[in-house]
Amino acid sequence: MLATPAIIFVAIGLLAPLALMLRNSLNHYDPTELMISAVTAENYLKFFSDSFYQGVLWRTVWISGLSTAICLAAGVPVAYFLARHVGDLAKRMLMIVILVPLLIGNAVRTSAWMLILNDKGVLAAFLGLFGHKGPLGLMYSSAGVVIGLISVLLPFMIITLNSVFESIDRNLEDAGESLGASHLTIMRRIVLPLALPGILSGSVLCFILSMNAYATPVLIGGPTFHMMAPTVYQQIAKVMNWPFGAALAFILMAVTLILTVGVSVLVQRRYRKWSE
Amino acid sequence: MPEVVLQDVAKHYGNSIAVENMSLRIGDGELVALLGPSGCGKTTTLRMIGGFVDATSGQITVGGRDVTHLPPNRRNMGFVFQNYALFPHMTAAQNVAFGLEMRGLNKADTERKVREALARVRLGHLADRLPRQMSGGQQQRVALARALVIEPDVLLLDEPLSNLDAALRHEMKIEIRQLQQSLGLTTVFVTHDQDEAMSTADRMVLMYNGKVEQVGPPDEVYGRPRSAFAAGFLGIPNLLPGRMTATQDGFRMEAGPVLRLDGQEAQMGKSLLALRPEVVGIAAEAPEGAANILPGRVEVMTYHGAAVEYHLRTEAGPMLTARATAPGLGGPNVLPVGARVWLHWAPSAGVIVSEN
Repeated sequence: MLATPAIIFVAIGLLAPLALMLRNSLNHYDPTELMISAVTAENYLKFFSDSFYQGVLWRTVWISGLSTAICLAAGVPVAYFLARHVGDLAKRMLMIVILVPLLIGNAVRTSAWMLILNDKGVLAAFLGLFGHKGPLGLMYSSAGVVIGLISVLLPFMIITLNSVFESIDRNLEDAGESLGASHLTIMRRIVLPLALPGILSGSVLCFILSMNAYATPVLIGGPTFHMMAPTVYQQIAKVMNWPFGAALAFILMAVTLILTVGVSVLVQRRYRKWSE
Repeated sequence: MPEVVLQDVAKHYGNSIAVENMSLRIGDGELVALLGPSGCGKTTTLRMIGGFVDATSGQITVGGRDVTHLPPNRRNMGFVFQNYALFPHMTAAQNVAFGLEMRGLNKADTERKVREALARVRLGHLADRLPRQMSGGQQQRVALARALVIEPDVLLLDEPLSNLDAALRHEMKIEIRQLQQSLGLTTVFVTHDQDEAMSTADRMVLMYNGKVEQVGPPDEVYGRPRSAFAAGFLGIPNLLPGRMTATQDGFRMEAGPVLRLDGQEAQMGKSLLALRPEVVGIAAEAPEGAANILPGRVEVMTYHGAAVEYHLRTEAGPMLTARATAPGLGGPNVLPVGARVWLHWAPSAGVIVSEN
């Protein structure tokens, strides 16, 4: 009963615009008349017949997958170390340091990364001290975009994982060790299987955030680097092609959903095998 | 089964001392209980033996082998945790099998040993249950089976009964004792409960503030506590301050009266006379021929099922507690609050203990 106002709010605020967008994606676009009411699949067909847009989607998926994977590889050791080997005070300080990137606006933070990554920037000057010459080539590259994404996604990953590791009883690790297991085996057989739900939710969070990233690909990737969210914006705000923009948004959403659900199911099935 | 020897083992955390120069020899097949209030260092000691806490100084040997700085996974000890610490994502059988897999045992032998271990704790029928599908007592038995199946050199139990209800605790106490004796396991058992320690252990180690207060068989520690702390912890509320008389057959209370006392070792200076509530007789009429008699008044009476406990103010000053068999079980009639009574006890009933 108490949840009713919230449910109504979510229904109106979230589902109504989605329904509207879905309706728009079925409309017809005319360069002079703009949106004309219709029920047609032409916008979706346009996506599947144009290799440019498929390339944009593919790039978005692999950039997101790579960023998530790097966040996971870097986040697990950091989060575990924080949960197990750092005192309370030091942990609070470190957590604040980890959270700082999230306190800064997206555009501001990304601009700072532009200053760091560009060919005459901070990183180039620093590497120059060690005799590195020539352009870094990180600005307007996928590597630069991945670095920019990781800088904002890693805090989410670490926070999620840290709370999961903290919720795992230390005695379980001690029990494993007294039964003769090495630290690696304890990680593989006890800690990681128990942390799996958190590892999944952290990864899903990072993946979704980076599938929908806007500022980073635009500012660091530059005008020739295309990912899905900026392309949707471009169609709707610049080209004024609402139907196609809406169709692109729905395709992005569908692909994100299918990939996250699919990976979750696969990993959980695998996990059941582990614990046997 | 090898013996475990602690030689001047200490654990410091910065400036605070958790365990101070502790020396203890735990014999082959012996069950030793580390007993004391929380914070006394008993669990730290157990964790040092298990290898989870690194000793600051001193040496720990098992069967002559120095294990002081060996990690837990190379000590071959079975550890049962207070909260059991069963792996929640593994069944009872998988939990028990874990240690055998770590030893590289083949599948057939592992399965056979797991079956035997679970049967030994009467849980053969629950092998495929997950820990959360089992009761506390069943989880406790899985934890025992898991610790025993690896054929450990030493069994270490950290407050294994504290999460069980009273009836189950009694049952498990007997079960642990039987298992330990039938397997001849050298065992260290940590508890804060004196009944648990007395009823299971061959020897008790009473600890206080990181130090060993008294070591001995339960009947000896119970019958002859050495310090005021030991007496208090073992449930003796009556501690009368005073000093031994020069002839050593008397005890002069600070409050005045001289009490007769037998069989005490000389204690110079101030000390305390400890009297168990059970040995203090209570009579409505002055008893004939009793060695020690103190008159007093009943201030509080509490009923304990099998016994009635009186809190009495003696006319000499100090409070005393006396425990009498309940009237329904053949004891004397209950005395009303405010009644004038005579407290009496035999010269051999008291024990002289040192002040802490």
